[in-house]
Amino acid sequence: MTHDSLTAMWISEPPPSRQALLSAMDAVLNEDRAARDKDRWMQIAGGLAVALLCPALLWCAAHGVTPLVRGGYALMAAGTAILISTHWTYAAWSRKALPGPADSRSQLQKSAFLLARQATLMRTAPLCCAPVFIGTALIGTWIYQQRGATEAYFLWGLIAVAWFIVSVGGVSSGRKLDERRVRMERLLSDLT
Amino acid sequence: MSRDADDKARFSELMETFAGPIRRLCAAYALGAADREDLFQDIFLAVWRALPGFRGDSSMRTWLYRIAHNVALTWQTRDRRRQSREQPLKNDVAVTGDMDLRRLALNHAIAGMNPADRTLTLLWLEGLSAAEIEDVTGVKSATVAVRLSRIRKQLNPIEVTP
Repeated sequence: MTHDSLTAMWISEPPPSRQALLSAMDAVLNEDRAARDKDRWMQIAGGLAVALLCPALLWCAAHGVTPLVRGGYALMAAGTAILISTHWTYAAWSRKALPGPADSRSQLQKSAFLLARQATLMRTAPLCCAPVFIGTALIGTWIYQQRGATEAYFLWGLIAVAWFIVSVGGVSSGRKLDERRVRMERLLSDLT
Repeated sequence: MSRDADDKARFSELMETFAGPIRRLCAAYALGAADREDLFQDIFLAVWRALPGFRGDSSMRTWLYRIAHNVALTWQTRDRRRQSREQPLKNDVAVTGDMDLRRLALNHAIAGMNPADRTLTLLWLEGLSAAEIEDVTGVKSATVAVRLSRIRKQLNPIEVTP
């Protein structure tokens, strides 16, 4: 048996049926449509948040009852804008990292580079959310002064829990992305 | 014909031509039937998305193999996928006769390779030249030749097994 016969043996498998191909094609086109729809809805939701939430928060920042409340709303508006732009940046990097028709070496280099940036972004999630949480905490301080301790403690507790969850989630996602980047770089070094 | 319909016709033609090679590639990367189907779909999804950008600078075959191997290699690095890669060969391959036994052994040998060697081996088995493999992987053709020579020696026992 020669190497040619090894190749012949490899390609000897009968091709899939036309019916199987048609259903695979339908599945691909449906998946693409679903992914595009999801992207579109995410963009609409982000756009609406920027268009509605930010102006509303800015209005509150301008017309708040005390400087503390105005400062709180201003921080929340800035934080919302930061979060949305961070989300868009992350999504743009994810799209760029999708495998395309580049050669494998270039593709792996690009994907590893983008994964490193995404991991960094995920690790900074607690920082990106900070303006929203600090702004809400300032409103909590106003509640403490005007209404009473119970409501304020409840709000501060919620903020602490949410910030903790975001921090743990961000760090954990960053670590997973980093592990994937390391595997990709190992693959790249094997290839070259 | 609208652009969408034109793309669909080209895509359908591509699928018919390359479904066999891509199925073989999937079998080498994903050993479970469900994973193979997932990978097959992921590859053709990437092909469909890249199709409008194909300008004919390279042959359709190397262009498609580039996408297919990039998807497979990226797929390999995903955590949830890796676990299924570690599974032993499934018994969903009907073994009949010497040819199938050798084929099974070949599949097993390829599955046991590191992903880089596996990529080169699959491209070689599909009949690509060293220059074409360089075009797909970005690895210099001289390096490809040296590595393939080592890989062929590894595969020798499968060739001589009756």
